[in-house]
Amino acid sequence: MAMTNPIQVIAVAVSLALVALVIELVRRGKLTEEYSLIWLVCGAALLVLSFWKNILDVSARWLGIHYPPAVLLLVVVFFGFVASLYFSVVISGQRRRIERLIEEAALIDARVRELEAQVGKREDAYFARRS
Amino acid sequence: MLVPARNEARSLPHLVQVLRAELADAGILVVDDASTDTTRQLLSELGVEWLTLCEHTGVGGAIRAGLRYALAQGYDAVVRVDGDGQHPADQIEQVLAPIRDGHADAVVGSRYRQPSGYRAPGWRRVAQRALAAWVSAAIGQRITDPTSGFWAFGPRALRLLAFHHPTGYPEPELLLLLAHNGLRVSEVAIEMRQRLAGRSSLTAARVGAIAGRTALALLILPLRRTVPDGDD
Repeated sequence: MAMTNPIQVIAVAVSLALVALVIELVRRGKLTEEYSLIWLVCGAALLVLSFWKNILDVSARWLGIHYPPAVLLLVVVFFGFVASLYFSVVISGQRRRIERLIEEAALIDARVRELEAQVGKREDAYFARRS
Repeated sequence: MLVPARNEARSLPHLVQVLRAELADAGILVVDDASTDTTRQLLSELGVEWLTLCEHTGVGGAIRAGLRYALAQGYDAVVRVDGDGQHPADQIEQVLAPIRDGHADAVVGSRYRQPSGYRAPGWRRVAQRALAAWVSAAIGQRITDPTSGFWAFGPRALRLLAFHHPTGYPEPELLLLLAHNGLRVSEVAIEMRQRLAGRSSLTAARVGAIAGRTALALLILPLRRTVPDGDD
């Protein structure tokens, strides 16, 4: 695993930076653990690929790809695709829950108005008796 | 009577007056879907029951909230009338009749079942025809107006739709959802007026997205699991 060319060094550095960034975001509470996992897996995969160039060469040969770094690109695109699909699912679920919340808030608002009116009537009756 | 309304301040007072004159003993619930005009301020002056959604969810969310309110109040039938005043209040009884007689769980008022004065713009009419043919084939029943917003719901439909009414541009999907869950849908002819005021929420630009969404919903819905009766 000798570091032969600059691009490999850059790839390792970028992968490490990605992992560090994700961990830092989790530490600051900007990213919750459940969503950080997918990014950590991505970062780890990139790190492995950029460290052991052999994996790229071997898999490139096996896949019939002449230019080994293209395999890296392929993996990145694949992970990016899976990640955005995953987040679309998350967003859809959140949308459904937000809609439900908005509906329930409207119903609770109506209930509060109804109860306020009842309390108001009772208070009126109470003060009418006292005066 | 359930009136989903978004930015309908100009039509609502007249509509409420007409509804009240037509069916004096029926409750009227207006659901304001986060209107940006004066609809919200108007609501407390109209003397109707009302809900107001704090964020825009689309007509589906307004109807779900309205139906849950109706269920909580103990209603067993709901008529949905659009806030723009297009739906003729004097024909509510026709739409409600199959529910009262127990012949249907949901009834849609069709503008096209009988020739009438109502005309949608040409390109929209073509899209509606195609959709009507598709929905009719999908549920094995002749539907002439799959985009109508004039509906009556019976008890079974109320329980299903209070939680599962589709959103977006929901009416074609609604027909499929009802049929898919084994509810009886029926269509009656109504005569439609042109809008009282305001503009249709449909612009040519939105129709593409709506068509795509509807087409997808129509394709996927038959593959969905059905909702157990009364489930939330």
